Amino acid sequence: MAQVAFGVWDGVVHDTQKGVVPATSPLTGLKKFDEFDDGNPIRAFFGDRGFFVFDDKISLIDALFHYMDKAAEQSCGACTPCRMGTVLVRDALDKMRRGLDSPLDFDDIELLGQQMKTTSLCGLGQTCSVALLDVIHNFRDRIETEIAGHRPIKAQHGMAYMTAPCIEACPSKVNVPRYIDYIRDGKPENSLGVLLQKYPMAATCGRVCVRYCELACRRKFVDEAVGIKILKRYVADQQKGPNALKFTRDMITRPLADGMKVAVVGAGPAGLSAAYHLLLHGYHVDVFEKTDQAGGMAQIGIPSYRLPKDTLALETDIIVELGGKFLFGQALGRDFSVDDLFAQGYKAVYLALGCQQGTQMGVENEDKARQGYYSGIDFLLKVHDHVDGIKPLEMKGEVVVVGGGNVAMDCVRSAIRLGADNVHVVYRRTRDDMPADHEELVAADHEGIHFHTLTNPTRIIVENGKVLGVEMVRMEQTEPDETGRRKVRPVPGSEFTMACDTIIAAIGQQVENAELISKDGVELNRWRTVQTDWALATSRPGVLAGGDCVTGPSTLIYAMAAGLKAARNINDWIQLGSSRFFKRSRMRQLIKDNGFVADDVVETPVRNMYRVHNPELDPELRKHMFEEVEQTISDRQAYAEAQRCMRCYRIYSVVTEHSIPEGAA
Amino acid sequence: MCSTETADFYARNPAEATISLSINGKACKGFHNETILSCARRHDLYIPTLCELDDIDHTPGTCRVCVVDIAEPGKSHQVVTSCNTPVRQGMAVDTRTRQVREMQKLQVELLMADHLQDCATCIRHGDCELQDLAQFVGLRENRFFDRARTEARPIDDSSPAIIRDMTRCVRCQRCVAVCRYFQGVDALMMSETGVDRLVELRGGGVQANSLCVSCGQCVLVCPTGALGERDETDKALDFIYDPEITTVVQFAPAVRVAFGEEFGMAPGTNVQGLVVAACRKIGVDIVLDTNFAADVVIMEEGIELLERLKGGKKPTFTSCCPGWINFAEIHYPDILPMLSSTKSPQQVLSTLAKTYLPEKIGVPADKIRVISIMPCTAKKDEAVRPQLQIDGMPETDVVLTTREFARLLRREGIHLPDLEPSDFDNPYMSEFSGAGAIFGTTGGVMEAAVRTIYSVVNGKELDEIELTQLRGFEGIREARVDLGGPFGEVKVAMVHGLGDTRKLVEAVLAGEADYDFIEVMACPGGCVDGGGSLRSKKAYLPHAMARRETIYNVDRQKTVRRSHENEQVKTLYRDFLEAPNSEKAHKLLHTHYTDRRRAMQRSVKEVWDDVKMSTMIY
Repeated sequence: MAQVAFGVWDGVVHDTQKGVVPATSPLTGLKKFDEFDDGNPIRAFFGDRGFFVFDDKISLIDALFHYMDKAAEQSCGACTPCRMGTVLVRDALDKMRRGLDSPLDFDDIELLGQQMKTTSLCGLGQTCSVALLDVIHNFRDRIETEIAGHRPIKAQHGMAYMTAPCIEACPSKVNVPRYIDYIRDGKPENSLGVLLQKYPMAATCGRVCVRYCELACRRKFVDEAVGIKILKRYVADQQKGPNALKFTRDMITRPLADGMKVAVVGAGPAGLSAAYHLLLHGYHVDVFEKTDQAGGMAQIGIPSYRLPKDTLALETDIIVELGGKFLFGQALGRDFSVDDLFAQGYKAVYLALGCQQGTQMGVENEDKARQGYYSGIDFLLKVHDHVDGIKPLEMKGEVVVVGGGNVAMDCVRSAIRLGADNVHVVYRRTRDDMPADHEELVAADHEGIHFHTLTNPTRIIVENGKVLGVEMVRMEQTEPDETGRRKVRPVPGSEFTMACDTIIAAIGQQVENAELISKDGVELNRWRTVQTDWALATSRPGVLAGGDCVTGPSTLIYAMAAGLKAARNINDWIQLGSSRFFKRSRMRQLIKDNGFVADDVVETPVRNMYRVHNPELDPELRKHMFEEVEQTISDRQAYAEAQRCMRCYRIYSVVTEHSIPEGAA
Repeated sequence: MCSTETADFYARNPAEATISLSINGKACKGFHNETILSCARRHDLYIPTLCELDDIDHTPGTCRVCVVDIAEPGKSHQVVTSCNTPVRQGMAVDTRTRQVREMQKLQVELLMADHLQDCATCIRHGDCELQDLAQFVGLRENRFFDRARTEARPIDDSSPAIIRDMTRCVRCQRCVAVCRYFQGVDALMMSETGVDRLVELRGGGVQANSLCVSCGQCVLVCPTGALGERDETDKALDFIYDPEITTVVQFAPAVRVAFGEEFGMAPGTNVQGLVVAACRKIGVDIVLDTNFAADVVIMEEGIELLERLKGGKKPTFTSCCPGWINFAEIHYPDILPMLSSTKSPQQVLSTLAKTYLPEKIGVPADKIRVISIMPCTAKKDEAVRPQLQIDGMPETDVVLTTREFARLLRREGIHLPDLEPSDFDNPYMSEFSGAGAIFGTTGGVMEAAVRTIYSVVNGKELDEIELTQLRGFEGIREARVDLGGPFGEVKVAMVHGLGDTRKLVEAVLAGEADYDFIEVMACPGGCVDGGGSLRSKKAYLPHAMARRETIYNVDRQKTVRRSHENEQVKTLYRDFLEAPNSEKAHKLLHTHYTDRRRAMQRSVKEVWDDVKMSTMIY
């Protein structure tokens, strides 16, 4: 690992030459800088908190020019200092690196840099001159030496990357501040355009996403996180209005020859997202789906009161509009094999099989319960058929749902709608430990669901195959172990029984028909999910996999992110036979490994503006119906919510020894 | 949204201001979540600003001029923008440290870097918030101005009414805010990034083909000369100068109460006589009054309304306001069958000036040119409507906004208060009733109409001539009026400002509103605060109440206060039109509307080509 020669980070100066090496500094523990690009060392790094140089022969002027060039290119232009300052400073540095007379000297540049840092509206302007000022304040002799001879400076290699905490938190790396900006600007269609760069299912995501972005949102230090999901839904729901965006084939910039076809197995979010991106890459895509509808878990696993079927259909139709084909009623292992697909001329196969077999609780009588027992996923399938009018499902009496995740919440809220008298959630840990979304828990509370936490089923009471009740035991928390984690253990003698008519085990899922898949030459791992490498390649060449069948039951946004990644790697596999370097991913990894995106508090006082919430139907009314509970926010609310984004953009750049290879698009 | 009261802190109980802080050493009390700027203003402490406009609750925080130094207890000094930083307990604010002053100055210098400073040729010269600001911060140098970059910024002169000159735009977004939040038209959006940042029309096209309805409220809030009316003073002077041409001037009810300020007179001063005198002085041949035409409109629209009521057609919307006509045609074409077909007073007067007047004064119609002085930018749109031409000639030849009229007088060296007031002398088209006078304010058309309709239905006059239930300033007002006869009680509504108009139209289209007659004025307050009226700096509609009061006083001082009692109107019908809604009246004084819905649907591809600042994959 190279040593820092000089630099400034968080205001702390390093200068090895002068013997200024702080005892404790974030720069002493830099991680994985050697792994960025093998054989192409990083010579210097510039960021929102400062800069540091490993190789003191680099040109600071050239490096700062590239950094400021990125800032000028990315400046939104809303506020005066960033809009004009970035351009003036960039142009001055450009003159300097070319060996020409600059209209501004370092005093002028310092003045502008200070103005940008102090008075800019958003994170980009406030941070883009930090490294510049650090250089001017601490290493001015170096930059003056660089320009003293008025000779052009040799161009350096490297890259610059702009991001924000919410972007880094999102599995799909959606440019969140940008799509919020477009709302604020009055261009919701462009906002949707930003989302559509990453995945086709924006309205679905705007309803059911678990919102890693909002957890990272720095607005929480002021009042509440920005309603990123609410805004996403707002722009996506414009598709139901008169100005819906049209999906046209000219989105495909380079259509490929007829033989360039790819098979996608599974029409869930992972499959649809991959199909979408493969179509945009120009491939001919057939999507094999074992059921007769597209959407996968979004179709069958998310109740219609959270995601109306017509909303989902608008998004699955995009695949057809782009020329993709759905082949319904086609199950891998039953109707075709991977061998068959290659024999039919598909250049690659993408497995997006999902993880749809409910895990059993492993309690006594679980196998004997034939009437009144469901796994969470089976139950939701039946609810789906009920809503579709295929097969009515009625419930009555007491219903017990075991589990604390979103699937469990979907089960309880569906059960109350199907007529159950009382619905109980049983969860072995505390309510705070429940993985379900907070909003889901609150909504369940409003709908009168009974929660039994620190409770675990031990036996199902069955008579002639019919569930009559469940025996349970109270749990208690252990003292925190050395990692601070508290486990739970049964309280001896606290067993009790609860009479019930239905019990639903919503505690987890695994890949279906795992044996058939491994017979096709695709290896599974010990969690009974598909084994892949970093590029989503399975053990069988030309077969890639992604989504729940690789990760186990996860979230929509992870599945859609996998689809994008798979499409890139499938394209590489077909075109090059291997997966390429993806430089933005390497940059993200570097930033993540070193914790550069600081979750720092907001120092300046900011006016409180509390976030909007989706209007909801009355709980008393809604608990009897499957129509969507949450409604879209109004234009005015969207404008107001968009104003809350603080645009915490930051730019990171590296100077490298050689050019960084161009990666997959 | 049309209230003149804004969400300010002046109106609140001072006892609720519990946050103690100091500004420039002076002890101040702030409200929870109040900004430093607002608190400073309440304590009479000045901080220079540009983009902010308190009257429309607009603090986008984009110009970054209003910086101040703050020190919170236990924290080091920071420089923050006062417009969007809240007060905190124990905070010490300083608005004039050396650093703060230098930063304010540099900020304005950066604003000037791509602002075209050919001030002498700018319509805002001497009346410009940016010029004021430069003086306030002590700007003495202009190092960064780049003429080529500035002149590359676009100018949209496609509209007959409003010119949008981005070379002078400071991106304060006030126009976007007033259009989006107050007028609810939402025709403007922010586009592009970095130094290319600009205000654009939704859909990306030019103004003439956009969702814009030319109401001109954006012009009223623009701090610079970036927005302004199309200046047609030279066209007017060409006509006035031409000895072959008989120039006829008409001016709107609102102009006489919203013009004196330009010459230092008290807001709301009635300058009718001075305007007449000024017109004569610049060489206008005949001065007519739009108020006369307003009385004619009442005759036509009143009878039309009764006919529609008899036919079970309701509601009927008024049609005098061209901003509203644009709005209906572009945004809600489904509502068009419910609009009265009666032309606006401007067009009624112009039509009669080229049909009726020639018969009376013996000048051929093709030698007459009508110049109309209006507090309105949309009237310029109206004048060029293809429906409003006579044999290929426009009915109205030039529309001058109140602002242009002021400019015209200055070009002629006229200082209004120095003139001797004069009176109308045309015996055919200049007398007006009090009903015609109140057309200039929200509720006025409705009140004028009811005075006459009641008389037509009952053969007798209303007991109370002033219908106070129709007056007021709420965005949407409704009232019941007993018309008597077979009609009995009817339900009427008056709406001003397009934000509330949108709500009302949607309610009507959804079948949720059962009104018989609806008066619409596109500008908040009505014509007295029209988009063509004089500009105010750092304020929105500051004189609304004074102007309305004067308008009502004009009515009170008239002996004739009902349109059908106007002797010149009676003569018009006796000698020329026969009767309201006669075939001839229909041919001359009624019009029709067209569906001008704008297609705004785009493809993902087009949007992707437009997306900036986001890593494009495709």
